[in-house]
Amino acid sequence: MAGLKAIKTKIRSIQKTEKVTKAMEAVSAAKMRKAQVRALAGRPYARAAVAILSRLSGAQALSNHPLVRAHTLDTTIDVGSTTSPTRALYIVLTSDKGLAGALNSAVLRRAERDIRDSGMSRSHVSIIAVGRKANDFFTTRGYAVEVYHPNTDTLTSELVDEIVLEAANRFSTGVVDLVKIVYQQFITTFEQRPTMHTVFPLSLPELSQVVKDIIPARGAFSAPAAEDEPRAYEVEPSEGAVLDLVLPKLASIFVYHALLETQASEHSARMVSMKSATDKAGEMEHGLTLQFNKARQAAITREVSEITGGMEAMAS
Amino acid sequence: MKVIIAKVDETLFSGDAVSLTVPGAEGEMTILGEHEPLVTTLKAGFAIIRSKQEGSSELLVHEVAIPGGLLEVRRDGATIIL
Repeated sequence: MAGLKAIKTKIRSIQKTEKVTKAMEAVSAAKMRKAQVRALAGRPYARAAVAILSRLSGAQALSNHPLVRAHTLDTTIDVGSTTSPTRALYIVLTSDKGLAGALNSAVLRRAERDIRDSGMSRSHVSIIAVGRKANDFFTTRGYAVEVYHPNTDTLTSELVDEIVLEAANRFSTGVVDLVKIVYQQFITTFEQRPTMHTVFPLSLPELSQVVKDIIPARGAFSAPAAEDEPRAYEVEPSEGAVLDLVLPKLASIFVYHALLETQASEHSARMVSMKSATDKAGEMEHGLTLQFNKARQAAITREVSEITGGMEAMAS
Repeated sequence: MKVIIAKVDETLFSGDAVSLTVPGAEGEMTILGEHEPLVTTLKAGFAIIRSKQEGSSELLVHEVAIPGGLLEVRRDGATIIL
């Protein structure tokens, strides 16, 4: 049987761990709520941007815009080559820290599977990593991580703009043919789903879906359906000028909401895993306390029997 | 009409207004309620929002500095996205 002191030390260390996990659970719960509130703050922006784009969706300038037009694949590429001519940029969002269950690995696996399925070789794939976990993952696997941003709690629109500008530049200059974003979508506190969207070439149906997803279908943050949009707008100074401005903004909505979803998912996943860690620590503490009491009782019994044994030996 | 000035991550102004003056791409313009639906680009400058205040005939003037952006006008309101 383990020594009394050893058991006591173990109980103390578990109690300390329990305190830490409990605090982390509370912090994550607060941060999760904050991320949800922030997602709602971005709604008027998203609504207006999508309304403007749907008004312009029939415009000639739209289908020819460099951020919308799909790059035509070079058909003269020789048939014998096994490599796909497509070059893609993946924007992968994870958290900086672990201790959040399978959250990050699910996103990273989703991105890696998509890269494998598309048959692209490593040299055709470039990565924009947000979050230390994504950076570590792709760096060790030999992918080209072009840009890395840490995923901190203070999200700024500057960070979003920077990512969008970088991706838009690469797409419109033809460095890449496809820009995809992979992140963890927040569904409920207990459920997150790795999700992937194509950012460039921009497509209106995909965007409308993302904007719809901003408003949760149920729960405290759900909202009534949007009002009717006007059919016709006057456009000044020209459709092209408006498109040049609105398209990068739409891409920012993609990136911004993906970032928020990732953060909300991170905090809820951490909250859940910290809760189970706290519960487990409680269980272990209970078991060890029992073991401690038994060991103490055994020691007392042994001492008593030694004393009585000694007394009897002296009496006889 | 309801005026909203929003950045991607925050709403800078949201409220009822009588008029909204913005630096449009083709010169300064003022939008009142029931304006024709309109989309225009904006230059850097100030958006000036005039709203009624209770118990006074004076209009409350609110200025928001904008670095350029887009204005979307509907019959019931206007949204500026930066």
